Amino acid sequence: MAYRFKKQIFGFMDLLRFKKMVPAREKRLAEAPATPLPKTYRVNETAAVLHPGCQKATLCDIATETEDTKTYTFALSAPMFFRAGQYVTVQAKVGGSLVQRPYAISSSPYAALREKKLSVTVKKSGFFSDWLFDCAKTGDEFTIGDPSGDFCHDGVRDRAHVVALAGGSGVTPFYSMAQALKEGSEDFDLTLIYGARTKKDVIFAEKLEALKSDKFRFVCVLSDEAAEGCESGFITADIIKKYAPSAEFTAMMCGPQAMYAFAEKELAGMGVTGKYVRKEANCVGDRDVKPATYRLVVHIRDQRYETQARAEETLLVAMERAGWNVPSKCRAGGCGYCHSKLVSGKFTIAGADKRRLADAKFGYIHPCCSYPDSDIELIVPMG
Amino acid sequence: MEKFDAVVIGAGNGGLVAAIRLLQGGARVLVVEKHNIPGGFATSFRRGRFEFEASLHELNDFGTKENSGDVRDLFDSLGVTDKIEWLQIPEAYRVLSREEKLDATMPFGVQEFIGRMEGYVPGSRPSMEKFFALAKEIHAAQAYSSSVNGQTDSKIMVSKYGNFVRCGSYSVNEVLKAIRMPKKARDILNAYWCYLGAHCDDLSFVHYASMVYRYITKGAAMPKMRSHEISLAMVERIRELGGEVWFNTEAVKILTDEKDGGVAGVRLSDGRDIPVRHVIANCAPHVVYGKMMDHVSEKIVRATNARKFAGRGFTMFLGLNKSADELGIENHNYFLYDTMDSVRQYERMKYISTNSVQATVCLNRAYPECSPKGTCMMYFTTLYMSDDWGNVKAEDYFRTKETVAKMMISRFEQDTGAKIADSVEEIAVATPMTYARYCGHPEGDIYGYESQYWDGLMPRLLMMGEDHLTRGLRFAGGYSMRLSGYSSAYFSGDITGRQTVGDIKREG
Repeated sequence: MAYRFKKQIFGFMDLLRFKKMVPAREKRLAEAPATPLPKTYRVNETAAVLHPGCQKATLCDIATETEDTKTYTFALSAPMFFRAGQYVTVQAKVGGSLVQRPYAISSSPYAALREKKLSVTVKKSGFFSDWLFDCAKTGDEFTIGDPSGDFCHDGVRDRAHVVALAGGSGVTPFYSMAQALKEGSEDFDLTLIYGARTKKDVIFAEKLEALKSDKFRFVCVLSDEAAEGCESGFITADIIKKYAPSAEFTAMMCGPQAMYAFAEKELAGMGVTGKYVRKEANCVGDRDVKPATYRLVVHIRDQRYETQARAEETLLVAMERAGWNVPSKCRAGGCGYCHSKLVSGKFTIAGADKRRLADAKFGYIHPCCSYPDSDIELIVPMG
Repeated sequence: MEKFDAVVIGAGNGGLVAAIRLLQGGARVLVVEKHNIPGGFATSFRRGRFEFEASLHELNDFGTKENSGDVRDLFDSLGVTDKIEWLQIPEAYRVLSREEKLDATMPFGVQEFIGRMEGYVPGSRPSMEKFFALAKEIHAAQAYSSSVNGQTDSKIMVSKYGNFVRCGSYSVNEVLKAIRMPKKARDILNAYWCYLGAHCDDLSFVHYASMVYRYITKGAAMPKMRSHEISLAMVERIRELGGEVWFNTEAVKILTDEKDGGVAGVRLSDGRDIPVRHVIANCAPHVVYGKMMDHVSEKIVRATNARKFAGRGFTMFLGLNKSADELGIENHNYFLYDTMDSVRQYERMKYISTNSVQATVCLNRAYPECSPKGTCMMYFTTLYMSDDWGNVKAEDYFRTKETVAKMMISRFEQDTGAKIADSVEEIAVATPMTYARYCGHPEGDIYGYESQYWDGLMPRLLMMGEDHLTRGLRFAGGYSMRLSGYSSAYFSGDITGRQTVGDIKREG
């Protein structure tokens, strides 16, 4: 050997040291205290407040906001803290099916943290919301999921001034933000430009009015009537400029797809594009195709299930209709929580493919945004 | 009659490899994973038009077909290499340190590395040659040790791998000083220390030299579709071999046999019990013995209490709306330190207020097509060497996270001259809370038990037998015998999977 390592004066002392490593470790392991191992840790406790997972919650208040919107307030079993603008899933048993939907949180972060109160504001518009309107009553038990989504202000990414463009019930995340600015859990400037059909369709009108401050400005834009103190028509560049004269802002939009298409053009004309325009995703609905039904076989752990899937509905809806406990969260294809392995079959994705690259390669799909085009077999995680 | 011979708890890097090894050994295997996707930290996530790598900076010891490393050999024998598209990282690293005004960019390849070092530190060549001679022998000794499953013959060790044994008990600093490496060369060579997370007075030389040797001789690799591609490839392989993987399935208890105290089953969070006599836990012994098992012996409690948690993780992911060229990001892999005195640096990394050390990657510098044209992606990682995040209350959490994120961006801009703050299109930040939530690790630890002098790689490997204290229960992953890191976790799964195959066969 060309080179011989030596550290101590005598080489054998280096060898002796090597031999002592095991006895030294044995001694350290044996001499440590016998105090019981911790069951939990501070960081993990805080993590459990930020990400409480699914929890039981009791419906404690139902308030009518407008003709077709109500606010449901839940008493949580564990405290939760979130970024204003995030959503939660609300799950209940409806008939034989476990059904859950994502709703933007309409209450404040501190209310969830300090009073364990959390509200969602729901527009009557489909299967689950119809059931909420007609059947849910205070005292009923629900399952509330983790606060999710990144439709919230980020001090690194976004400008300090946010211009919020809301359409209809899309105002809910901004109502949460306005409360967060007031209580101090968020810190930025918010100008809310809120489009509704008529004055009586404006949700939280008085509450938003009461929250106005040097950090929060608010104006309604009514499409179907003229009213004092409100703008008329659609949310145009002129209206945006009137309330936000400097284009140095981040636009956040929540509302129907048609509003996004219109507002994006208006914003582009003002030079507000790219990273300065953020849109909340909308839930995927039915598609317009010739009706057909396919056989859907699903494996959940060691169980095999079978049902009929309709061509116009997503695979998630077919599984929920069958009464199976399957995972879902955003229902817009983006969060990946329903990530399932396609064993066989053909499918179409609603809108853009938001899967990870390797998911497409290895045949994983997001059932919440995938429609069946043939018989389908899936491996689905437990809900 | 049990339906499974073994249950693997956790589909992290160690658990996935262990499962494949078990299946190859003829066992019937169930993997339970509490998340909806595999990999643990080895995953990716989408934000807008970016797909971020969650944790892998570069895969060590993979190499190429012609110059394969141990990880590639392992992946070959698992049958997963060809399921993954690989790319090579162009250069080893660029290290910048403020105190020493150090700025060095190091290449892969032993001669290239020594040559570049001689350029930065004239006269360093003899000591660098000694370093690589030692490292080569260490690597050979490790290969011998693996080939005999750790049952080494001390005569062979002393006669064939004498340098390994002679330097095997010393720290990085002790050996580098003994071979008279100039200080500046040590500073440059020690840049990788934060990958192992113990400072160089504590860190075993054998461990460090072996890692550096693997990087410099084999280069570093990256799966094109991020580490999620590796994790899904492994799941694919497990299913091909007849194994089952259940996602969204959390194991909450390991049930024990009253007679011998060994493993009798696994309880899932919904109350279902899976009877089984062998479990591989791809999680922390602190969690397993702290809350998943009843009747843990005093010996185990003491041994577990003796261990020290290693670095708690923090990573910021940025999707930038300009190209790396436009922003002035020149390299793939940066280490930014305050000082190359790793003992003092380690102290500063204990606190949120004083830690702005970072290991930063711009993936586009290795793989330009990883994000859309005219954009690039970066991730910035640091470690906290104490439980300081435990002092952060929930109501201060988002502000603290943002403060640290801004501190990291401005640090990067100041040290490298790049300008990135105004181009952030997407951002995600993972803190110790995120890691605690995602994988359940205590305090958000991402590095397992610290590679302290007494609990380093050598003593752990030498004591694998003694550390196996419960019949039917073995560990894989960053807390186990190979310590933390991607390649180490894969190796741990290989070792523990094969050991469990042996356990099953012995039971008949």
